Amino acid sequence: MNKNLILIVDDDEDFLLQTKIKVESFGYDTITADSQKQAEEIIVNTKPALAIVDLMMENEDSGFILSYHLKKLYPDVPIILATSVKSETGRGFSLNTEEEKNWIKADVLLDKGIRADQLEREIKKLLKL
Amino acid sequence: MSVNITINNKPVTVRKGETILDVTNRIGLKIPTLCYLKDLFPSGACRMCVVEVEGYRNLLTACSYPVEEGMVIQTHSERVLEARKTIVELLLSNHPDDCLYCHRNRNCELQTLAENLNVRERRLSGAKNIQFVDQSSQSIVRDPAKCILCGRCVRVCEEVEAVSAIDFIKRGSKTFIGTAYNKGMNLSSCVNCGQCILVCPTGALREKTEVERVQEALHDPELTVVIQHAPAISIALGEEFNLKPGKELSGTMHAAFRRMGFKYVFDTSFSADLTIMEEGHELINRLKNGGEMPMFTSCCPGWIKYVEQFYPDMLKNISSCKSPQQMMGALVKNYFTTVENIPKEKIFQVSVMPCTAKKFEANREEMIEKGIADIDAVLTTRELASLIRMYHIDPDQLEPEPADSPLGMRSTAGKMFAASGGVMEAALRTAYFALEGKEMDDLKINSVRGFEGRKEAKVKIGDLELGVAVVSGLANAGKLIKEIRNGKNDVHFIEVMACPGGCLNGGGQPIGADENALKARMKSLYDMDDRENLRTSHGNPQIKELYEKFLVEPLGEKSHHLLHTTYRDRSGEVLL
Repeated sequence: MNKNLILIVDDDEDFLLQTKIKVESFGYDTITADSQKQAEEIIVNTKPALAIVDLMMENEDSGFILSYHLKKLYPDVPIILATSVKSETGRGFSLNTEEEKNWIKADVLLDKGIRADQLEREIKKLLKL
Repeated sequence: MSVNITINNKPVTVRKGETILDVTNRIGLKIPTLCYLKDLFPSGACRMCVVEVEGYRNLLTACSYPVEEGMVIQTHSERVLEARKTIVELLLSNHPDDCLYCHRNRNCELQTLAENLNVRERRLSGAKNIQFVDQSSQSIVRDPAKCILCGRCVRVCEEVEAVSAIDFIKRGSKTFIGTAYNKGMNLSSCVNCGQCILVCPTGALREKTEVERVQEALHDPELTVVIQHAPAISIALGEEFNLKPGKELSGTMHAAFRRMGFKYVFDTSFSADLTIMEEGHELINRLKNGGEMPMFTSCCPGWIKYVEQFYPDMLKNISSCKSPQQMMGALVKNYFTTVENIPKEKIFQVSVMPCTAKKFEANREEMIEKGIADIDAVLTTRELASLIRMYHIDPDQLEPEPADSPLGMRSTAGKMFAASGGVMEAALRTAYFALEGKEMDDLKINSVRGFEGRKEAKVKIGDLELGVAVVSGLANAGKLIKEIRNGKNDVHFIEVMACPGGCLNGGGQPIGADENALKARMKSLYDMDDRENLRTSHGNPQIKELYEKFLVEPLGEKSHHLLHTTYRDRSGEVLL
């Protein structure tokens, strides 16, 4: 595992680039994917230290499925689900309890409109830095 | 000058310049309102307060129309009641029908009006609002579907807090309330004070709840769950249970906490005493060694974010002390764990705060070390009340219990943090003692008490004449900062609270408190100060013990590491 490598997956090019620049400015290396499919290919050979994953990509639940596969391969890799699904579709879910985390295989849910300091803190918290 | 008018067939003599609503409020006649906010300029937007006046073709808005000689007013005529009912029906036409699930159920002004005006069916059906819930902020959740566009949140945010995070967007029937570029609360200039929640008549604004996380921690056998409660909780919580405003409930709360499964119960007023020790000595240090003056207090997280965003040049003037919440947080995780021999990661620390900005503060990067936050969850007074109800605990039936030691004893100085001016009074008591070696002749400093937005005083300590100012409401703080930038130099120490009147009127407090309830909360604090003997932070034996056993001295190395913090310029980060 590359201890400093963060995988960022999002089909929104702008968000992907912005997040990549932000995360690199915090001092991490990044590897990006613009789809669930591409991310699935990457994780076969690469174990990141942490992943930041969008929810709706090729399919409405791409992020859930990717998180499921990622956790199955690497149970110790923390996942941040970064999504605007709640404010765009009105669908509600949360990641507050262990029960919810059992269904949705991610550790933290961040609603988009994420501040840089907030993202850096969540990464640090999950990596226990 | 007086004017003679007739209201509901009764002659009344009133003052010239008063609005019709001023008069009816004064004589105890109730006219319903929605957009009206006391002390702010009336907007007349909702039309709920319309009255019929002889000789006028249209109904007049009582909130904005001044009385005139000879006016003959009917406040509840057939035409008026019909108009009010239609307004409510129109508001309900596109309002979600989820009262049963709404956090404002039974405490909603729209619901009450519908009930009072006997609205029993959906006569009009309008297109639903298509804006979805904004949950991006760590403190405040906005649900535009429940917004009735009364504009109270917008006006409080702009006129009282000078933050303007939200405003009306678009016009006419397309109007909605949103943030800059509609990018969501998290990226806006919102300082998380929560005053918008307090004024919202419906369920469109609420705190981001952490009740579920607390419940889960309570049910986790591996975790030791610790709770602290801020000074302003015990005097306001009772209102959630129909007890008299201002009723002091600390002991009852301690008992309730233990019933719910909290292992240790601490009082944030203790760490408020500690804040005074550190902040008082920091002030003296700055005065003696030519540090940046004036010095501002740092216990209000709404104020801190406000300065970081709008006045970053003043950050050097802010005390480096953490807030009482975070001081307690650091002590529990770094000192109490060693006393009780509990691994740091097995402690789950909850704080109950009158404040939504405390949720943001607990998540600040400076408050988290190696993935472990000092405070794990922050509940507002309202969330605590809902937790207590969930456990079916009747506060009236509980025998009061003391808090746990060694972080549970407080002075009334620490307790007074709940009121605007309280931090100042407590700090002056301790600064005086530190400089003069004796107590002030009269510990009571009346000039910094009360609800005025700005209070100033001069305090003599030996040869030193200290200029102090107390402001609440960030618009008042902004004004003072501008004066200081322009050369005002007669103040040395300034207390700022984002919420008008201080934490007792915080954004996390029970909704619907009127002026009298706020006064009762404040009176309760000062009554304690009159009644009790331990009235200074430096006199608190547990504070002395903490310094002897652990911290060594104020501003010492341990304090520096655990009790002080840093701020940063956020002016480039938020959408202003």
